[in-house]
Amino acid sequence: MKDSQAFDHRPDPELGAALRAALDPKDDQQAFAARVMAQYERALDRATVPTVDVLASWFRPGIAAAAAALIAGFLFGRTVLAPAPASIDAAMALVDGPGLAALVTASDPPDASIVFSSLVDQR
Amino acid sequence: MPTEAPPPPQPPTGAARMGSSEEDKSLVAKTLAGERDAFGVLVERYAAQARRVARAVLGDPDDADDAAQDGFLSALVKLAQYDTHRPFGPWLMRIVANAATDRRRRRNVRQAEPLDPALVGGGPRPDAAVIRSELGARLRTALSELPERRRMAVVLFDVEGYSHAEIAGILKIPEGTVRSEVFHARRRLRTLLADWKEQAR
Repeated sequence: MKDSQAFDHRPDPELGAALRAALDPKDDQQAFAARVMAQYERALDRATVPTVDVLASWFRPGIAAAAAALIAGFLFGRTVLAPAPASIDAAMALVDGPGLAALVTASDPPDASIVFSSLVDQR
Repeated sequence: MPTEAPPPPQPPTGAARMGSSEEDKSLVAKTLAGERDAFGVLVERYAAQARRVARAVLGDPDDADDAAQDGFLSALVKLAQYDTHRPFGPWLMRIVANAATDRRRRRNVRQAEPLDPALVGGGPRPDAAVIRSELGARLRTALSELPERRRMAVVLFDVEGYSHAEIAGILKIPEGTVRSEVFHARRRLRTLLADWKEQAR
């Protein structure tokens, strides 16, 4: 055995052998290895899922995604395809009564009563 | 009074002696490809080492085996992350050491079991096997009294034959700290071993 104060960079065979004997399991390694492999097999079995189960797990998210895409497409299409008024006259023609025409064509600032009556007429 | 020398020195069985690095890499590749037998070979190759390292941390052999098993299975899960440019042994031992440390943290902190009075007080020494187991018990007790990192360092260095640099990687501490830990652990254990030899005379 080496001097206990020495700072040795090499393994100490005597101490190593004594520690090895102290720590070595009493049984053989085969039983331990078999135990680990049995656990490994069980883990593999748990990890193996039938294909149909995988497909089933995709089913509901797939349906939800398709429905969301359908709704989004519908909303987008309605926005894009809605007919816009062709001109300001056509837009004016949609509103009955003189209130709105008078408001737009007047050179003076509109009277509040005209504005309100125009709004009321639209309702 | 029969005297029994400690077990004869054996060459360390560190990473370099555990099997060639190329063999380990090949086994890892085969395991990743789904060859179960290849993983079995790796387990058999490193079982003893993993169990000793785990026992150095946990003390109890059953707990140590559980931790070593956890380590192997954890290594299997992480196998795709293993860098094949590095030796396999230190990588595996780091996982085993972590598994053992985790297990020790989970269980209640167990005080070092007191030595059997018959072992402490110079009682009868019937045969060599008993004498050897007496030394083993003393060493295990001495190990259990060392800080965890220190006992792992000395076991990895003197028993398993890993280099200071490899142990630094396993324990995630600076190499200089590994040297210091090994030094302090040896000082304690060598004193115990010397006392035991003196008494055995």
